[in-house]
Amino acid sequence: MVTPSSMPFRLLSSAVLPASPLLLVLAVSIVIGLLMVVVFRYTSDQKAIGRAKDRLKAHLLAVRLFQDQLPVVLRAYARILRGTARYLRLAFRPFLIAILPITFLIIQLDRYLGWMPLRPAQTFLVEARVEDQAAGNEVELQLPPELVSSAPAVHIPGDKEVVWRLVAQREGQYDIHIAAVGQTVSKQVLVSPGLARISPVRLRGNFWERMFTSGEPALADNSPIQSIAITYPPRVINFAWMEWNWIVLFFVVSLIAGFIFKSVLGIQI
Amino acid sequence: MRLLSFRQKRLGQLLAAVLIIGLVLLFPLRSEAYAGPGAGFAVLSSFWTIFVAFLYSFYALVTWPIRQLLRLFRRRKAYGKAQVKRVVIVGFDGMDPVLVNRFMDEGKLPNFTQLRDHGTFRPLRTTFPAISPVAWSTFQTGVNPGKHNIYDFLARDLKNYLPYLSSAQIREPKRHLRIGKYSLPLGKAEIKGLRKGTPFWHWLGKAGVFCSVIRVPATFPPEKFPGVLLSGMCVPDLKGSQGTFCFCTTRASCDKFREGGVRIPVERNGARFHSHIPGPENPLGTGGVLRADFKIHPDTRCNQARIEIDSETFTLKVGEYSEWISVKFKAGMGFTAHGICRFYLKEISPEVEVYVTPVNIDPGRPDLPISHPVTYSIYLAKLFGPYATLGLAEDTWALNEEVLDDQAFLTQCYGNHKDRERMFFDALEKTPQGLCACVFDTTDRVQHMFWRYLDKDHPAVRDVPQGQKPRVIQDLYDRMDNLIGRVMQQIDEQTLLLVISDHGFKSFARCMNLNAWLHQNGYLALKAGKSESGDWFEDVDWSRTRAYTMGLNGLYLNLKGREREGIVEAGAEAGALKQDLRAKLDGLVDPASGAIGITGMFDCDAVYAGPYVDNAPDLIVGYGEGFRASWDSVMGKVTSKIFEDNLKAWSGDHCVDPRLVPGVLFSNRKIAIEKPAIVDVAPTILKLFGLELPSYFDGKPWVVASAAPQPQKVA
Repeated sequence: MVTPSSMPFRLLSSAVLPASPLLLVLAVSIVIGLLMVVVFRYTSDQKAIGRAKDRLKAHLLAVRLFQDQLPVVLRAYARILRGTARYLRLAFRPFLIAILPITFLIIQLDRYLGWMPLRPAQTFLVEARVEDQAAGNEVELQLPPELVSSAPAVHIPGDKEVVWRLVAQREGQYDIHIAAVGQTVSKQVLVSPGLARISPVRLRGNFWERMFTSGEPALADNSPIQSIAITYPPRVINFAWMEWNWIVLFFVVSLIAGFIFKSVLGIQI
Repeated sequence: MRLLSFRQKRLGQLLAAVLIIGLVLLFPLRSEAYAGPGAGFAVLSSFWTIFVAFLYSFYALVTWPIRQLLRLFRRRKAYGKAQVKRVVIVGFDGMDPVLVNRFMDEGKLPNFTQLRDHGTFRPLRTTFPAISPVAWSTFQTGVNPGKHNIYDFLARDLKNYLPYLSSAQIREPKRHLRIGKYSLPLGKAEIKGLRKGTPFWHWLGKAGVFCSVIRVPATFPPEKFPGVLLSGMCVPDLKGSQGTFCFCTTRASCDKFREGGVRIPVERNGARFHSHIPGPENPLGTGGVLRADFKIHPDTRCNQARIEIDSETFTLKVGEYSEWISVKFKAGMGFTAHGICRFYLKEISPEVEVYVTPVNIDPGRPDLPISHPVTYSIYLAKLFGPYATLGLAEDTWALNEEVLDDQAFLTQCYGNHKDRERMFFDALEKTPQGLCACVFDTTDRVQHMFWRYLDKDHPAVRDVPQGQKPRVIQDLYDRMDNLIGRVMQQIDEQTLLLVISDHGFKSFARCMNLNAWLHQNGYLALKAGKSESGDWFEDVDWSRTRAYTMGLNGLYLNLKGREREGIVEAGAEAGALKQDLRAKLDGLVDPASGAIGITGMFDCDAVYAGPYVDNAPDLIVGYGEGFRASWDSVMGKVTSKIFEDNLKAWSGDHCVDPRLVPGVLFSNRKIAIEKPAIVDVAPTILKLFGLELPSYFDGKPWVVASAAPQPQKVA
């Protein structure tokens, strides 16, 4: 979904587009890790969190110190559970404050890092979901010259879907058009070797789904087409001898960075 | 049912939440990762705690059968013949039987009265001399000082007649590595306990009886035993002294404090001021002491100041204490000493004055062990926050030197007392079976400093207008009574409660310089041309000195072959000299008042027996009521006056004839003994738990009635 607030991000990100996805994820994760601990510092009750953590540690030590006194140990376990709940409650407010900007950031980054653009000669599918089966029978795909169909359209009546298999001839950003019941809608297709902003689906309505997955304007409410999806391949990042989804890598690296920064800055987390 | 259902639902929700969080952490999926690092921090931190807890649980589960067998075996041994399930000992250092009796007769102290009426109340014979480290050492070991080697706070070095702390010695690591200007210590400082004998809780612990011991004096350094212990009196501050306060002031003064404190200048820098707290000596051998700088930003309009130290900033009103503040003394090369102290803002206009308590060892990061196990002091710090660890944490010197006023001193005392109460009640909860012992020393410190208000003729209160004397000591006893009331509410009929004190109290109105008397009577000689000496026998001519005194009650012969410059032959000559001194000093009269200054001179051979008698003073001086060794005499100084008024706030004392200052014994059970002594406590406790008594014990176990009807509890 294109929003005015995403424009600065698009301009800013265009400066780092040539960078490798791995470096981009690492850089963003470290910066976000730092920002998060700073936000945590100013939005949480640091004293209360410090006290809650100290008490938890005390109850843990009690388990060890009084290990032969069964009632004492059981009481310590109960206090550990209560203390953990209290700690989570104290951490909840900064978490709530941080979650909105972080979610927005991840959605925007996901446009670039979630999927890989198509390559020339690569086969891909276009899936159109229609309002009713009758409209499905009348659907027609109109392609630019750089994109060619490699197989006849497949109709899946049960899912109200029509699927085409296409091949891109050369790099570029193209619009494909689908006509049905007298209306024509379009969908972007990106064929590129590098990092680029990708919208894998164009949707009608479904605000929240569009927010998280689409990077294009909504289809008209009266459109006979409900959605048009392109099967871009998901991006996999190789790091530390493992294949990572970028969000998982971001989660892990930003956590590690946060824990390092909180020690350096003396922030209670 | 509804409540149960609600609680079950809550529990179910909690378990579900924990499960989900665990799964998120173990298998972080794309969608969950949207929560970002914020949630991750919270979840990871708490998850880590739960993980460690469950790791402990797993360990406990695996080792449970073995430990259960061992416990069964031990407890059968320990509790098989036990007459009690639990013994709770509440020690009130210096609680006086005469005062407590007086207050009870006046209808005060309802909880002590309950104990007296339904259990036991007796004066408790103390040790020779009646000094806390001596008496509490006897309490814990069940032997006389000749067997535990503690005769005073101080002992003398026979090589140079200088004093050292009698209970513990801290030595620097023997080996160092030189790197440029630095001398890196290789290894830890060596801490050697000088108190001999075995505390009775070691015997109990070996037999499987769990013991929690809090702040019993003379337990530093803490010794290993199967239980938990927090050391009390004799724990040093971070400088290694028994408490050195710091008085930061803009007032120009060359006066040095007699002892116990240092004056540090406060310097102006524009609208703000800066000063520092002196710390320990630099361990890297670069000379000098470490220091922690701090800034003061006075706000005269609001009568307050903001203080900045390290990364901490806090604001104090005039006359207000800070919380415990962490202080770091950085030596370089990564060496840092960690301490805690409290600031007290005394004045901001026209001068700026800040009092800083002695820098205590940080219990959460102890640079020296102050508990057994080491984690016990950390556990208490995590549970309750930082607390005073110094043995003599109530800064009597600062009140004596008029750096603190009465109210500021009391605030400090009761702040520490509150922390100790919390520790004690936690220990009580953690010891449902076994021994729980705690000594509160607020009673001692407050009586030392405020006895002047009980004694209308005391020289230190002559200028105080009538009617303005606070009821400090009665209030103190009321508070202790309240504490006992709360203890009684937490114990059952199978618990024996003992409330004891190590000695009582008397007025300290007149100072006696025994060194001056020895000098004037030809037993101690000064170098030619000198009429007085400096501290620690400076200018004393040892080649002509036969006797000297240092510390509170000890009188020593300058014995040939023992002291470096001794001249008195051991045997007949020494015996005759002792007889001579006893005859002349016993009954010595203060010419100004006509009162007897010394009511007893006790020969060490008569009052001590054991392997360490050679370290004892040759004679113990029993001062009469109202008298004590003078401040100068304690520090080995010879003055021209023998008797003088005590004008210090330190106006009550117990370092007198021990027969005049017994302690107290209260119990919730009847104890069949007429004249109990503090040395009897250890054998009594061992016997109550059915243990054999070691043959070297000097005390005799009391006959304690089996579970008596519980006295009515008074709120």
